[in-house]
Amino acid sequence: MSDYVALDGLTLAYGKTVAVEGLDLSIAKGELITLLGPSGCGKSTTMRAIAGLMTPSAGRIVIDGRDVTRLPPSKREVGLVFQSYALFPHLTVYENVAFGLRLKSAPDLDAKVRDGLATVGLSDFAQRAPRDLSGGQQQRVALARSLVMEPKVLLLDEPLSNLDARLRLEMRMELQRVQKETGITMVFVTHDQAEALALADRIVLMRDGAIEQTGTPEEIYSAPVSGFAADFVGFETILPDGAGGGLAWRPGAVVLGSGPNEGKVRGTAFAGERREYILESPLGTIKADTPAGAAPLEIGQSVAFDLPRERAAHLARLD
Amino acid sequence: MFEDKRTGLALALPAAVFAAALFLLPVGILLSEGFRNADGWSLAPYVEFFASGRNRVVFLRTLKLAALVAGVSAVIGYATAFAIVSLPPASRGRVFALVTLPLMISPVARTYAWLVILGRTGFVNQMLVGSGLLDTPLRLLFTETAVFIGLLQLFLPLMIISLVSAMENMPRDAVPAARVLGANWFQVFARVILPLTREGLVVGGTLVFTGSMTAYITPAILGGAKVLMLETLLYQRVTVANDFASASVIAMILMVMAFSANLLLKRLATARRAR
Ligand SMILES: Nc1ncnc2c1ncn2[C@@H]1O[C@H](COP(=O)(O)OP(=O)(O)O)[C@@H](O)[C@H]1O
Ligand SMILES: [Mg+2]
Repeated sequence: MSDYVALDGLTLAYGKTVAVEGLDLSIAKGELITLLGPSGCGKSTTMRAIAGLMTPSAGRIVIDGRDVTRLPPSKREVGLVFQSYALFPHLTVYENVAFGLRLKSAPDLDAKVRDGLATVGLSDFAQRAPRDLSGGQQQRVALARSLVMEPKVLLLDEPLSNLDARLRLEMRMELQRVQKETGITMVFVTHDQAEALALADRIVLMRDGAIEQTGTPEEIYSAPVSGFAADFVGFETILPDGAGGGLAWRPGAVVLGSGPNEGKVRGTAFAGERREYILESPLGTIKADTPAGAAPLEIGQSVAFDLPRERAAHLARLD
Repeated sequence: MFEDKRTGLALALPAAVFAAALFLLPVGILLSEGFRNADGWSLAPYVEFFASGRNRVVFLRTLKLAALVAGVSAVIGYATAFAIVSLPPASRGRVFALVTLPLMISPVARTYAWLVILGRTGFVNQMLVGSGLLDTPLRLLFTETAVFIGLLQLFLPLMIISLVSAMENMPRDAVPAARVLGANWFQVFARVILPLTREGLVVGGTLVFTGSMTAYITPAILGGAKVLMLETLLYQRVTVANDFASASVIAMILMVMAFSANLLLKRLATARRAR
């Protein structure tokens, strides 16, 4: 796999605050990577650096065989869609999409802009002002504005997080369609594991300015390497394995009502399909759930449970 | 807001009477002086005023200095305002306070400080002569340059404040978005920052232009009788020559120029936007 985009020992700092340290990542041409991690772990900072909005204090960025570390954003052929959309309020939708093309005096400007608007289904909105569009429509304009530039890499920084749940799903599918159609290399940033799992060819899980784990959605979902990674993808019961590593179970993997262990119900919540429980036990805190139809347990009640080994994820590190 | 329109009017009445009696009336009387001569109503005072070569020089100098101060403060103001809004919020407040600090110091004190710096035995001349660069001190005071520097220092904070608040209202990522779309810094300014901060520029520009035109203390101290501006000329006409007709003409000119400047700047701002 040839590296189309390579980040090589990238260190990024705001003054004395180091936000990202020694990040290595390579991305293949046409790949859709998601950068997943909690708020503040350095995802946006990494995007800003790839786009050229921030100069690394160490490391290199290579795009399509060219070292772009010291190049200004205008010379990088990178697109960036911001979480806040960042449309230009004084320009129409058409002029927003035409903005970058005009700067480089692109030939066939009109055709390209109309094409871009058609791709995101906004052909009829060309003469509107951005503020007269819904959030989802504004996001599409931002996407079209980047796509018409035909960037080598398209970066999307939490592009869906300001949309409501239904629109988010719709936009996600649209993004996938656009990516398939154009074959563009994409880096999609999110703090939502479900979004990352649904979209990505490969997920890069970040933690405190460094990469915690890289893998396919299946690997990330079922084989986390650490307590942090396990917790992030929904393994809610994490216990030491006695050898420096750990074992982790999803709530559905914990057997309630039988087994060698005993715990006290500390909390319960109805979640539609399932009923969730928090148990206090000598082993530690256990999170479990049962089908909603099962007889409910009372708070304070003692209950037997089992943590089946064969359903546990084996973590190399507990933290 | 008020159930009865009359309640509102009644509440506004004292202020209206006060303004009419103490402001509009005297200003009206003063301005009407400019439209009279011995025989009754006439435009003669205006004709006479502009017939004098010295008056024309003062008029053009005032216009030129006010426009120059407004222009230069816009350039410095944009750079400073951009630097301020790019700071992290914590230090932004501190730097902003530093910018507004001069506004809290008396303009008289601030202007006298320039005497200490620019005078014959002032700081600048002591440096120049002391280091052997010059044999005799430069005449820095009582020049247009001195008045310009004094006015710029006096009014720059107003421009910076106007532009900072305009820039704070720009969408957060508009500038980085433009850069990623290929804009260099000049294009970022011309196509994004300027159109999005026009209103701030109009407010700041009007304040600085009008302020510079009507400033008295700064031209009086740093320009003196050698570099008269309309305001210092006005004062001189009244106190030295008891010439109320000229004073009235000058007051009218200042007022008309202030209104025109504001209208012109507003027109410039909206004309571009309508495109
Ligand atoms: N402009 C800034 N100045 C100083 N620190 C910043 C700035 N932007 C982000 N940071 C810090 O850098 C770290 C990473 O931030 P960011 O990349 O925005 O995280 P994410 O996008 O993953 O939420 C955080 O600790 C944040 O506080
Ligand atoms: Mg972020």
